[in-house]
Amino acid sequence: MYNTKMLTPEDMAERGEDFNDVLDDWFIESLKTYKDLHVYQLEHPTQVIEWTSGKTVCVAGYSSSKNEILELQLPLKLFADENKGLCAERDFKVVHGGFTDGPVRCLRHVPGTRCVVTNDGLTSDLQVWTVGGDDSDVIRRTGSVAGRKRRRTDSEGGSRIAARCSTQVLHGAQSDDIQLTHLTSGQILYTPEITSSDPLSSLQFVSDDVFLAGCCNGNIYLTDTRTSASPQLSPAPASPGESVLWWTDAAAGVSSGSVVRLSSSGRAVISDLRNLGAAVSQAQLSVQSRRCNPDDVTVSWAPALPGCIAVSGFSGVVQIYNTSVWGVELQEVQPLFGHRGHAVSSLPEEGDVFITSHAWHPERPRTLLSAASDGSVHVWDWVDQSASDR
Amino acid sequence: MTCIKLIFSRRPRLKVGRLLGAALTSRRCLHDEQVTRESSALPIIHHSKYVCDLPLNHRFPMGKFPRVLHFLIKDQVITEKQVWVPEIASKELLSCVHTEEYLNNFINGKINEQEQRRTGFPWSEGIVRRCRYETGGTVLAAEVALQRGLACSTAGGTHHAFPSFGSGFCLLNDLAVAAKYLMGISSHKRKILIVDLDVHQGDGTAFIFKEEPSVFTFSVHCGKNFPLRKQQSDLDISVEDGMEDKEYLSTVETHLPLLLETFRPDLVLYDAGVDPHWEDELGRLRLTDQGLYQRDLYVMKTVVSRGVPIAAVIGGGYSRDIDRLALRHSILHRAATQVWRDCGM
Repeated sequence: MYNTKMLTPEDMAERGEDFNDVLDDWFIESLKTYKDLHVYQLEHPTQVIEWTSGKTVCVAGYSSSKNEILELQLPLKLFADENKGLCAERDFKVVHGGFTDGPVRCLRHVPGTRCVVTNDGLTSDLQVWTVGGDDSDVIRRTGSVAGRKRRRTDSEGGSRIAARCSTQVLHGAQSDDIQLTHLTSGQILYTPEITSSDPLSSLQFVSDDVFLAGCCNGNIYLTDTRTSASPQLSPAPASPGESVLWWTDAAAGVSSGSVVRLSSSGRAVISDLRNLGAAVSQAQLSVQSRRCNPDDVTVSWAPALPGCIAVSGFSGVVQIYNTSVWGVELQEVQPLFGHRGHAVSSLPEEGDVFITSHAWHPERPRTLLSAASDGSVHVWDWVDQSASDR
Repeated sequence: MTCIKLIFSRRPRLKVGRLLGAALTSRRCLHDEQVTRESSALPIIHHSKYVCDLPLNHRFPMGKFPRVLHFLIKDQVITEKQVWVPEIASKELLSCVHTEEYLNNFINGKINEQEQRRTGFPWSEGIVRRCRYETGGTVLAAEVALQRGLACSTAGGTHHAFPSFGSGFCLLNDLAVAAKYLMGISSHKRKILIVDLDVHQGDGTAFIFKEEPSVFTFSVHCGKNFPLRKQQSDLDISVEDGMEDKEYLSTVETHLPLLLETFRPDLVLYDAGVDPHWEDELGRLRLTDQGLYQRDLYVMKTVVSRGVPIAAVIGGGYSRDIDRLALRHSILHRAATQVWRDCGM
């Protein structure tokens, strides 16, 4: 027989006090480790963070039925570099909002427009939304793009989406159903000649005409839309005995030309876009490997910090690694920085919190956004305390 | 209410203040209430060692202390002749509030990593020294206030320090030490009112005097600011984010006169933190420069016009622009100068 203890109001108060104490400790520490840190609480967690301008991002819920899709403006104080004291706006602001009929598993902004495109992970169709316009604060559904395949199973990830110009969208859930579609007419403009059906973990343009499709099994297809030739296949790095998932990111900013592949066991391999078969360097990251879904993990190159990547999804921490110090031999490496804010500030009774998504600011070198499974959204500008600080 | 005009006799001015009685309790304090006050200007307590070096880019605006004095002199609000220089607070003086163990560890550099993290400061001999001078400054300000009616330090307000640990940029509780010391050296037990208008709750001070009937702790703070784990002052007023000048002043006006009337303190210690200002990086209120000035003027005038001495410290303020911050802190001394004039001190 167990002696179940009834929690008295005093116990509850004490637990709350202890938690407040933890938050106070974290606050003092954050003064040293961040140049800026702002937190926001969504009613429901988001799995997507997508920049729609230098100061705004779109987020959306992923529960099975109706969800909110929101455009948030970041605290203006963050951007007031010269006169931080003069800017009182320290809170996130909801500037536009709407409702979806299903979960949002992927969300992309169409450059040069006020449109975003989403996928619910249930079918390969895309929903097209217009954000605001005409003094409206509503995000409303204004179209759709039909995908080739229909119903998905739960274990497969949804469609990946990429947009390079204002009239076309690249999308697909597997390597054999990728298509470049005209946004308004729905006309299919291009499909790569790929026969194998590998679920995708990423889809991104590396130039106006070339895109990279990263598969969950670690294969990468590099496709040039100007030629009719088959895409170049670069198989996954050898990982004997392990059944792992892989995520890929191709750098677009200062590290342009580099590609990172990250496995669910925490192994990261760096290659050059012109020679994907060869590993330039690799490392074993300090992550807790866990049973992951394709949507869980995000790896991304910093647009403005040479050689740096951010990794999230293995835990409640977002980690920054400096890949330029990695070697050819597989070795364990420590992160340059870890953002622990979500983990620290989540209530103990909510269980372990996980980072659902992160995104680098397109220009500010050390500014990132991160979202977690408890609905928290943080924007942070971290202090690089390493010896080689400029 | 008209201000009481105090009559002074002419005497050569003392330039250097002394913390008498601190080391040897048997020695008679020179500055007891029987000494006639001399004609002089508002006493300003300052020490060049209020500062120490901090690691590059440390968030604590250490540079503000000398800049406060700099602007007051530059703007001809005060002259150097008004400046009183404190002595360093002795271990014995500090032990009236802090534990023996903490003081030993603190002075000898044995504070562990975790404890250091909570304070926000890496330990150094410099930080120990500056904290002790700062505390000495607050004690001197209180002593001089008893003699002259009003005195201001260019530092002070380290209200998050507890008897056995530091927290939130506070390593020693200067207000508590000053209160305890002045309670102890009087023939009757002095009653001391601590008015803490820093935007963060004076949790350390509240804790230290929780069971002490002769010290009344009054704190107006923003509920959502650090510390989230609150202590219990004798009177806590927790205000909402974004409060502005008018409502804030009204809040102070609601409580201060009543406290003076019912508690009848022999001395008021005033923490005039500027972090309720809208530009403050950490505070979540929206006071303006004018609001801070009105606040300080109101507090000091209300106390002085009742014939109660008041010593003020600058309290907290956080900004990466040190000069702007120092100017904001100097509002206190400008208001005090106005009070000194208006009340014929």
